[in-house]
Amino acid sequence: MPVISFILLGSVVLLPAVALWALRWATAAGQFRCPDKAALLPFDESEPVGVETDLILGGNRR
Amino acid sequence: MSHQSQTPRSQTLRALLPGDVGAGSGGDVQTGGVQKAALAEIDASCRVPVLFFFLSGLGWLIAGSLLAIVASIKLHSPGFLGAWEWLGFANVRTAHLNTVIYGFASQVSVGVSLWLMCRLCRIPLPAPGLVTVANLFYNLGVTVGVVGILRGDSTAIEWLEMPRYATPILFVSYALIAVWTIVTFRLRAERHLYVSQWYLLAAVLWFPWLYGTAQVMLLLEPVRGVVQAAVNWWFAHNVLGLWFTPIGLASIYYFIPKVIGRPIHSYYLSVLGFWSLALFYNWNGMHHLVGGPLPAWMITISIVASVMMLIPVITVAINHHFTMLGHFGKMRQSPTLRFIVFGAVSYTLASLQGVASALRSVSEVTHFTHHTIAHAHLGMYAFFTMVMFGAMYYILPRITQREWPSNGLISLHFWGVALGIVLYVVPMSLMGFLQGTKLNDPTIRFLDVVQFTLPWLKLRTVAGLLLVVGHVAFVGNVAWLLVRMFEPYRKPVVRILTGEAETLAAGK
Repeated sequence: MPVISFILLGSVVLLPAVALWALRWATAAGQFRCPDKAALLPFDESEPVGVETDLILGGNRR
Repeated sequence: MSHQSQTPRSQTLRALLPGDVGAGSGGDVQTGGVQKAALAEIDASCRVPVLFFFLSGLGWLIAGSLLAIVASIKLHSPGFLGAWEWLGFANVRTAHLNTVIYGFASQVSVGVSLWLMCRLCRIPLPAPGLVTVANLFYNLGVTVGVVGILRGDSTAIEWLEMPRYATPILFVSYALIAVWTIVTFRLRAERHLYVSQWYLLAAVLWFPWLYGTAQVMLLLEPVRGVVQAAVNWWFAHNVLGLWFTPIGLASIYYFIPKVIGRPIHSYYLSVLGFWSLALFYNWNGMHHLVGGPLPAWMITISIVASVMMLIPVITVAINHHFTMLGHFGKMRQSPTLRFIVFGAVSYTLASLQGVASALRSVSEVTHFTHHTIAHAHLGMYAFFTMVMFGAMYYILPRITQREWPSNGLISLHFWGVALGIVLYVVPMSLMGFLQGTKLNDPTIRFLDVVQFTLPWLKLRTVAGLLLVVGHVAFVGNVAWLLVRMFEPYRKPVVRILTGEAETLAAGK
């Protein structure tokens, strides 16, 4: 069953290889170097740290 | 990645972006020639495709909920709708599973993923029309599949019941969406990756691998004997853990900091959580076959990997808890936070229950009982669906530029589904355990065990009805929101876009 062999081979070899490549790329690209900077990525100039963005229900009317 | 964006291929891809962004003309911060887009511009680019995914997903949610109610009633009143053979329990229960998994959950996941990816890549969605077309074909595939199931064409393979003539449409549509997510990532204007992007990228790559492999090994060139069961549970369990879970966690990691305006507690922990999930989850599925005729080492490895899942679960739980510390009161004010935190807590509970259920001594009691059904709903609904509801509460007003019309419907939605799922999971978990204990006692007749479950199953129908009430409230609010898109803008009842809410919250 060549198709199954191909898929099993892909699962066993290709996927771990892709994962290792991703990890190597991330390390080389400095993705793990500045965790404090990465943690700030959801924020920007228009919605910086400290700005709450979804407080819309009753509590804010008191 | 800036060097990559100099290649001719990247330049070709960049041509898909709107003029100012793709050309990199002006702007405050640039990476590789691509200018960071404003949030409003990103939201506007996602409007049509994300709305399509959300609305069609919600349509399938209502259909799936009604099918679930019918199936639930049939469990304690088998004669219900007995005149229609196409509404038999096997058809209805299977159609429910497939409508909520492939119709609702997967489509909403894609909508949320696309929006999150664009926001974190700081670019508008390139060529949104293409994604919309993929969505239309995806819905065609789900429709053909569900109608096929109701006609009796189910494959009878758990989580892969759609007939063979439907799945190629789904696979091709999904592949197109996955490729487009990766294209969006390749065009990003922000060099650094946020942890949510790791989860999203992994999910869009893992799912076609799972789906394609299972299709080939179970339907196109089926393997024989117990290997079918092994492949089936490898697929079914990984759909939850490597498709829905990463998207749910990606959403939690984005929306909690955005709503409370505070970065996550520890970025290192979040990355550790991602890589440990990637390493351990893939091995978990065989724990569904404890006691089955498979090599003992396969099941043992799966049990060990299931216990190892404590690492990502605990890291995620610690991170979410310490990020929220001092901000729990804001759940009263933010529908997004309310649903997301409910989902995050449920993720921890579902995972701990899953670890316990994987142990041989526990599985011998709970397997083949309603405990497994309760666990599946704790993961798929209390965790994942609640997180997706929270994400939609955040995204929809921003892409439609309209506020939520009704606070009352938001509250009805939350309390309907929160009470409904608690009333579903807690009694069913307990009943499943008792059911398993009785089934393992040779002095108790099987019929007595069945009769013991009846009152609990009626309670389950009540819980299901509460969920339906919540769903109808949400769909009503969304429909009202859409009607407002065609009206002139007016001062809203609830205020996200005007900034008044933040001002009031700050006591200014």
